[in-house]
Amino acid sequence: MDTQLLISGVLFGLSMGSIFFLMAIGLSLCFGLMRIISLDQLLYYSIGAYITYSISLVTGSMWLGVMAGMVVVGIISFGVERFIFLRIYDRDLAFSMIASFGILIGGVGVIKSIWGLVPRPVPVPMITQINILGTEIPVYRLIVIAIALLVYLGIWLFLNRTIIGKAIRAGIEDMEHVEGLGINVYRLFTITFVIAGTLSGLAGGLHGPLVMVDPQMGLEMMPFIFMVVIIGGLGSIKGTLISAFLVGQVVSLGSLIYAPLAQMAPFAIMLLILLVKPTGLYGSKLLKR
Amino acid sequence: MMNMFRWWWGILLAFFLLAVLRVFLPLPFSNEIILFSIYVMGCSFLLGRLGMLSFGQPAYLATGAYATAFYLFYFGTNPYIGILIGILAGLLISLIVGPLFVRLRSDYFALVNLALAVIIFYMMQTVLAGITNGDNGLWFLTNMAPTPVLDLSIQDQFYIFAFVVALAIWALYKYLDDSLFGACCLASKINEDKVNFLGYSNFRIRLTAFVIANTTTALAGSMYAVYLGFVSPEMTSAARAADPIVVTILGGVGTLYGPIVGAIAYTGMKDVISGLIGNWELFIGFLLVFIMLAGEKGIWGTLEPLLKRALFRKNAFKPER
Repeated sequence: MDTQLLISGVLFGLSMGSIFFLMAIGLSLCFGLMRIISLDQLLYYSIGAYITYSISLVTGSMWLGVMAGMVVVGIISFGVERFIFLRIYDRDLAFSMIASFGILIGGVGVIKSIWGLVPRPVPVPMITQINILGTEIPVYRLIVIAIALLVYLGIWLFLNRTIIGKAIRAGIEDMEHVEGLGINVYRLFTITFVIAGTLSGLAGGLHGPLVMVDPQMGLEMMPFIFMVVIIGGLGSIKGTLISAFLVGQVVSLGSLIYAPLAQMAPFAIMLLILLVKPTGLYGSKLLKR
Repeated sequence: MMNMFRWWWGILLAFFLLAVLRVFLPLPFSNEIILFSIYVMGCSFLLGRLGMLSFGQPAYLATGAYATAFYLFYFGTNPYIGILIGILAGLLISLIVGPLFVRLRSDYFALVNLALAVIIFYMMQTVLAGITNGDNGLWFLTNMAPTPVLDLSIQDQFYIFAFVVALAIWALYKYLDDSLFGACCLASKINEDKVNFLGYSNFRIRLTAFVIANTTTALAGSMYAVYLGFVSPEMTSAARAADPIVVTILGGVGTLYGPIVGAIAYTGMKDVISGLIGNWELFIGFLLVFIMLAGEKGIWGTLEPLLKRALFRKNAFKPER
């Protein structure tokens, strides 16, 4: 394999990993704090992508579309949290998984009835390429990676430097004590859920130009996101970042070596990791609340 | 004799109603219902009796279907032997992956099963494309030789066969529910530590249940293969992974007749609604959310107490025959 191919492969993997990270962080945060598995993050991803498509079609600016997508998705996730998840927090884990899956396929139905079944292309905002070590790299992919790293930094600062973030971290450790301190945990839940949904919308908006937007895009992402979350360990943010980039690299470099490997290798790795360490790389030992 | 009858009458009544339904419904629809309910039974047992949510049932379905398809496409012509091979393949794969999977926490269990489904999907679609014809699938409808008693290549007779198999499976699961093993399963769902304390092995209970449930699923897969006469990787794609769970929830988790009721409701709604508005996922999704919010009992779970009261009162007046 020559270096040019390798460099572009690694960068492709990093940008894939960034998208994976932005989506998986939502699932991971929701699991860590509220002990729910929120499959509807995949719906917010699709909605983010579709809003980006529509707005960029009307105004011609993709970035405006991404912003609008994040806002819309934030509002939708707020509504979903208030009306549905608020009622099922204290039930079993499998329960939230099924309910959120219902929201997911219901939402996919709504998307189909609004935008139709045909996959649609989103215009790439910048087609310039820069030269790194003799390889032409599209700038857009670099921007995606930069945004993912910024989001990681932002979340890290939010969780470590603000009082709400500290309360969320404490909630991940021990929910009852946080409640005992007089903090309204349900407000924390809402904030976390909206953050998670907004980030998924951002991931959808950014991923739109790289793939076509189609109604099933969320379902197609599902196995990969599951995998990222499992390898990293549910509830861990650092683990999610590392495993997202790991999976991205495996998908991208695997496809350079042997095409079918790209789809299967991550799953094989996941099975191996789970057999060695049943909670994922950085998962907590905590079983159920 | 009376005890025997009391044990059987629920199943017989349910299947009598199903047979009556056959008169009113078109044949493909009835076949679909029967096969779907066998498919869902394993998932319902795992979720209802053991609390193990599996998003990867298509993996076992496809294992059975492909084993049957390989046999019928390359080696033999007898569909009965094909189905037997499908069952054996299901038994084999659940014995291989079972010991690894049942140790995991419930949330990881769901996700790992999904991963297995995806692995099998790509194996059938690309890695083994030389044998499986990739996305085109294997077509072997004409390979099946007519068999003496029930000719499975004729839809009418296939229905009778599927009906008998479903009846047998229901009897098996009712037997399991009533046995000590069924009680152990429920106990292991509710309190693992106490089961350990009583001297039972959680691992062994779960493994047995896992193997039984997924062999049933594989059986459903091989029957699908014989019925449709072709298999393709589409049946194990991630987008289809939730079908059995949706039907389980729809029918009522852990109830004996939930899978049948769910399968009828699901297939019926798919048929009726897709004729009306062209996208039925919308409806199914919101119905699922509604059922979850309404207390996760499902259709049968809600109906059962009402029916029981009505039926038993009626039964009490009947003279014993």
